[in-house]
This record gives sequence, C-alpha cells and structure tokens, in this order.
Amino acid sequence: MSPLIDIYLMQAIHGLTYGLLLFLVASGFTLVFGLMNVLNIAHAAFYMLGAYLAYTITLHMNNFWLSFLITPPAVGVLGVLIERGLLRKAHKSGHMAEFLLTFGLFFILCQLVIIQWGSVPLPVSGPALFSGKISLMGTSYPMYRLFMLGFSLAVLLVMVLVLVRTRIGMLIRAAVSDSDMVDALGTNVPFLFMVVFGAGAALAGLAGVIAAPFNSAYPSMGLDMLLDCFVIVVIGGFGSLWGALIASLMIGELQSFGVLWVPRFAIVFQFLLMAIVLIIRPSGLFGEKE
Amino acid sequence: MERILRVENLSKDFSGLSVLSGINLEILRGERHAIIGPNGAGKSTLFNTISGLYKPSHGKIFFLDKNITGWPIHKIVRLGLSRSFQIINIFPKMSLFENVQNAIVSRFNQRFNWNSLLDRNGKIKRESERVIELLNLGEFRNVPASELSYGGQRKLELALTVALDPVLIMLDEPTAGLNTEETRNAIQLIRKVTEGKTLIIVEHDMEVVFNLADRITVISYGSILATGTPDEIRENSEVKRAYLQRIPNASSG
Amino acid sequence: MISYWNWPKVLGVGIGILLLFFPKMLSETHINLSIEIFIFALYAVSFNLLWGYGGMLPFGHGALFGVGAYTAGLIFNHIPHMHLLLTLLMAALSGLVSAMVIGFFCVRLKGAYFALLSLAFQMFLFALAWKWRDVTRGDDGMGIVRPSLHLPGLGSISMMNINNLYYFTLIIIVLGILACYLFLRTPLGNSVVCMRENELRASFLGYRPFMTKFTVFSFSGIFAAIAGALFVLFTEFMGTNSIDINMSMAAIFMVLIGGAGHFLGPVLGAAFYTAFQDWISSLTKHWWLIMGIFFIVVILYLQGGLISLLQSERIRFWLGGQNKSANGKNTESRKPV
Repeated sequence: MSPLIDIYLMQAIHGLTYGLLLFLVASGFTLVFGLMNVLNIAHAAFYMLGAYLAYTITLHMNNFWLSFLITPPAVGVLGVLIERGLLRKAHKSGHMAEFLLTFGLFFILCQLVIIQWGSVPLPVSGPALFSGKISLMGTSYPMYRLFMLGFSLAVLLVMVLVLVRTRIGMLIRAAVSDSDMVDALGTNVPFLFMVVFGAGAALAGLAGVIAAPFNSAYPSMGLDMLLDCFVIVVIGGFGSLWGALIASLMIGELQSFGVLWVPRFAIVFQFLLMAIVLIIRPSGLFGEKE
Repeated sequence: MERILRVENLSKDFSGLSVLSGINLEILRGERHAIIGPNGAGKSTLFNTISGLYKPSHGKIFFLDKNITGWPIHKIVRLGLSRSFQIINIFPKMSLFENVQNAIVSRFNQRFNWNSLLDRNGKIKRESERVIELLNLGEFRNVPASELSYGGQRKLELALTVALDPVLIMLDEPTAGLNTEETRNAIQLIRKVTEGKTLIIVEHDMEVVFNLADRITVISYGSILATGTPDEIRENSEVKRAYLQRIPNASSG
Repeated sequence: MISYWNWPKVLGVGIGILLLFFPKMLSETHINLSIEIFIFALYAVSFNLLWGYGGMLPFGHGALFGVGAYTAGLIFNHIPHMHLLLTLLMAALSGLVSAMVIGFFCVRLKGAYFALLSLAFQMFLFALAWKWRDVTRGDDGMGIVRPSLHLPGLGSISMMNINNLYYFTLIIIVLGILACYLFLRTPLGNSVVCMRENELRASFLGYRPFMTKFTVFSFSGIFAAIAGALFVLFTEFMGTNSIDINMSMAAIFMVLIGGAGHFLGPVLGAAFYTAFQDWISSLTKHWWLIMGIFFIVVILYLQGGLISLLQSERIRFWLGGQNKSANGKNTESRKPV
C-alpha cells in the first residue's frame, strides 16, 4: 500500500480511538442533560480527575491497572456526593442556579487540581504490558493506543448492553424521553438521577485513566474536554446518545486530520463547526430535546 | 358587509396528526362570532394559526384583504389583530399599570424609542390609565401582576388585548375558571370593551356564547360542522349529535 | 436616623464625593485598584444589560471586551498620535460591529444554545488573537504606551500620571454607566425587559423579539468594548488575557455575586471581585478557588447577590423609616430578573 494511504489509515484509526474516548465522556454529559435537564459543566472535570488520580496511583503503587479499579468508582462516588449534596439544593432555585453551580464546581475542581498537583503536565506511565509498539500495516503503532481502542469499544459494548438489555437501562431510556411519566409509574426518580450521574462521572473518570498515559495529566485538560463535549453535544443533539456517538467520532476524526492538515488552526475548525451547526440546526443534527 | 377575516381551506398538522382540516371561515366587520366545539376539536389551534403562532400546513388566511399566511406574529398584530390567551399570559413581575403600559407603548409605535424616558411620557401614561379605568382595575394599578386575584388577572388579560385598539379581537376562553357571577360580569365587560370592534370568541360556556354571539361556528375533530346564527345552530341536528351539551333555549340566558 | 427613602441618595452622593477625592486620600496602589474596579464595573453593567434585564446569558461576553481591547491596543501601537477619545470611539465602534455580527447569529437562540454559540464566537476570536502573531503577537502580547489626552484649553494631559488616568477613567465609566441606565429607562429599554418577562405575550402585543434582543446585544457590546479599551490603557498591555474565557467568566462572577436584580448590583460585584482578587492573590495564588467557593455559596444561599443584602428587611429596619420610595410609586416591579 502506498505510504499516503498508510498515514491516512493511521490517522483514521487514531481518530476513531480518540473519538471513542470522547464518547465515554460525552455520553454521561448528554445523558445527564437528557435525564435531569442539567448541563453539568463539571462533568469534564471528572475526566481530568480520573487522569490525575491515575497519575498518583500509578506513581505510588507502581501499578497502572490498579487505577482502573480504584479511580472510576472514586470519581463516581464524588459525582454522587455532588449530585446529592449540591445539585439537589440548587435544583430548588431553578435551572439557572443548577447550571451556574456546575460552572462554579468546574472551576473549583480545576483549581484544586492545580493546588494538589501543580501546573506542570505530569506524564503517566502506562502498563508495561502494552508499552511496546506493534507492526501495523508497515508502520509501528504504539500498542497502548490499540489497547485504548479495544477497551473503549468494550466499554461501549457494555453500555449498549446495559441500556438495551437491563431493566435499569430501560428505565433510563424511558426517563430521558419522559421523566414525569417514569415518576408517575412509581420509579424512584431521584435514585435514578443519582445512579446516572454517578455512572456518568465514573465513565468520565475511566476515560481519564485510559487517556492519561497517552495525553499526560495536564491542568487545562478539563477545559479542553469541556469544549469538546460542548461541540459534541451541540452537533449530536442534547440528550441523544446516538448523536453523541456519531458526533464524537466526527470530532475525533476532525481533530486527528485537522492536526495533520492545518495544525495551527485545528481548534478554529472545531468551533466553526459548532457555530455552523448551531446556526443551521439549533437542535443538533440528531437530537430533538432542547 | 365588509369581510375582516377570511380563512380559506386551512389545515394544520402536527407531526402527521391532523388537527385542523379544510377550515373555511368568514368574519364580517363588527360581528361577534363565537367558535364552539368539544374539547380537542382544534379551537385553540385555529386561533393560534390565524394569529400567527403556528404556520398553516395548507390554506390561506386573509386579514383586512391582505394575505397574512406565514406572517410573523408582530406583523399581524400591528395590522390590527389582537388576542387573549386561555392560560393567563401576562408580565408577572410588572405591575398592572406597567403591563397595560407595555401594550400602549406598542400601540403608539414607541417600542424602539431610545431618545425619551418612558416615565416622562404623559401621552402613554394617560392612555394606560384610561384603559385601566375602562376595565375597572384602577385600585390595582400598582399591584404586581402575579399577585392579582385570578379574576383580576383575567381582566388584565382582557385589558392587554383591547389596549392595542385592534380591529379584530380574538378571545380564547376568557371566562375559563370564573364563577357564575364573575362570568356574568365578564360578559358585560366584554360587550363594553369590544363596542365597535369585531370579536371572535372561543368559549365553552354556552351562556356566554348565546348572550354575546351574532353568529356561531361549531368545530368538531378539526373541521367545521356548521356556521350560523344562534337559532340556526340550536336547531342543527348534527351539532346536537356531536356536541352532546345542553344548549339553552331562547327563553333563558 | 436617616429615613429609608433618603438613604440611597445620601449614600450615593457620599460615595460620589469620596470618589472625587480618592486620589488625594489613597496610595497609588489603591488608586490603581480603583481604576480597575471602574473598568470592570462598566464591563459588568454591560453584561447585566443582557442577563439581568434581557434574560440572555452569554458565555462569550469577553469577546466584546477583547475586541475593544485589541482595537485600542493596535491603535495605541500603530497610530500613536490618534486622539485618545477617538481611539475610544473606534474601540466602541468595533464593539458595536462585532456585537452586531455575533448577535445576529446568537440572538435567535435561547438558553444553553445561546450561551454556547456566543462562547464559540469568543473562542474563535481568542484563537485568532492567539495564532495571528504577526498582528497580535499572540500570547506574548504587546506593551503599549499611554497616549496623552489633548483637550482644547487644557492642553495635553499625560495619562502616565495616575491621578489623571483615574479621573479620565472615572468620567468615561460614569458616562458609560449613565448611558446604560438611561437606555433602560427608555421605551426601548422597556421592550427589552418585556422580552425577558414574557416573550410570547410581547410578540402578541406587537413587539419584535429578534430586533429587540439584537438591539440590546449590540448596545451592550459598545460598552464592553470601551471597558476593554480602558483596560489596555490602564495595564499598558494588549494580550490574550483580555479575550480569553476567564474574561467571560469574570463577567458572570461579578454579576452573580453583586446581584443581577438591581442596576448597581454589577458595580458592587465588580468592586468585590476586583478588590477580593487583589487581596486574596497576595495571600495565596489560588484565588480562583476561593472565588469559586464564594460563587457556589452565593448560588445556593444568596440568590440575589450581595446587593440583596442591602435591600433586606433587616438593613431597612436598622436604618429606620418607612418602606416607601421617594414618589410613592411601587418601584420594585421594574427590577430585572
């Protein structure tokens, strides 16, 4: 195969990997919105926390895999605490208050990260198992990236199974369409909210762990992810998981190729895309809910 | 007699569900025209489509001989159409006076006036007071609208509608939620403030309808069953069948 | 005891006199702080035109501040002999035009969409400022020299003298805030509030939602840009800090903490924000954290912002007097938010 096609294919795989990673974070973001009508700005901070916790755990316990086990639940618990302790209080004051609260939380979490870990990017050493390169289509491709791809796909599969096959998944899907109805049918809606919020946070944390060896843990990763999530959710539609998946992959590929073609202006294109979508189709390409 | 409003073959669907179909209607200048029908017949949808909130799926609407189909709401309003809402739709945190004032500002075309102070505009103030007095709301002028009684809010809703001095007034269930005495007062008030205007009124209360209306249109399942004078409607067997409600005789009401 | 209907006016006059005498009374550091507060006060007031009065919450208001900043900065650098007032006018114009362009697209949207699209525009402008190094010097920024103010009869007034800068800024800011205040008291300003209160009802009264919101958005841009221009004049620096997301955040913080429900709430918020930042930064470099916590406390427990404390029953009780305003009219009803 010609080298150009090789490069493109490589970038495409990379874009796919990054896109799936984005989806792991964006899914929680859009689901929480669809379910609770809250745009949780702090969500991206869970991703950041995941990466930083992975750094600390890997550093002190010399074992990357442990961070897989510890971090997502830890971040999930934090999410639950935030939802129960702060968000519910703000809910009484209206959507605006909830929204602004998540805003403030995001900034606090970003600041806490800087206080605890400093402003310098911290490299996270990945698992020894996947530290090598593998020969793929003529070039050597880092094994860890393939692991990222595979693992993200696996998580995606589990998500789909949970949503489609389990009772709670069904409840979640129903509640996204009509939470009043679900409430009327006797489901404990606050409990459902808590579960979804916590699960979303845990997923974001997990994404952070996965991304850490690849991206390092750096202080503005929360903001970067936040902006990416915004774009994804706008394009895919607020509350739509399918939309989030497709948009994530789109953005993943766009960033991947954008960096290749116009490295200086990649970020500009992302926002241009979001602006165009908002102008032409305010409810996103797939979503109905506002 | 001049035709103020003409609706030609109007249809409205929502995501495939047909709510109105083949509506043909003519309203003459100065008449008081009631639209009645069972719940869900499409009366409010008809109002919303005529007044510009919804765009018709098919058909045309002519107001004062102009084709207003698809016009934006404010353009239709400025031409001389004003409507009230079934669910009270006022400016809750503003006082009653300020609510009416908003309508007067628009009527005097001052919405975009940037080089004078609103509080100093005597003309607007006086006219707002006049409308408030017309509806006997003077003692509540400084009360925040959300704190008015339900009857008071209904009156404010009516005030906002007539304050524009429109050619055509459309009232959507103006007596909803009022008790018998309040309703009787409302009928008098509506008659008073719509003097010399053309009125279309959607109502469930048959006493109101047969007291006010010159002509009645009956709508059922999105189409017109019958149009005619109150007597004609009373005698119409189709209407009786569809509407299953006791229509008062000529001797009562 | 000062009776209630008197105390805002007495306080206002008192503060006014104090402001005039600050340069004589305060150290240079505090004069600098005051200037910074003035600038952010105008910025915050312009933001509250949109949020408190217009019911629109943009995430990208910093774009307009930044446009004014960069316009002024570039003029200071490349056309150093341009009259200072003309430069401010150019900055105001740039703010107006930018706001018109951004507003044209954003204003049709509501809620989160509106907020995010305005953010998109801001991030776009930020990226532009960052990457277009030839013009803007990117994130290194550009130092500028403060030009003197030439007034007929008074000659050339140097802006390097901090007292002169203080009075100049004070006058411009007061004029700007006054303009915003008067705007709100015109029928047009009333239309803006109608849109916020009940857009549907307003439409059916003949108001034009798009045009009204577009107008206030554009108007607000003028004053954000003027604040940005003064910011560059004051800091003697033009850089990406005037157009980044923190600048948008600052506006939200200031208005929320000060209180969106009163015209002067943003001014209070700006004063608090600036003074607090100044004080806390000397204690710890994590002042954003403290500000964030404060922000959350305000959201949860003090929805009306700091100014609602001044309006509370307790304060009125302490100051004595009746709960009546000067002309007996119920002035509560036309509050924002």
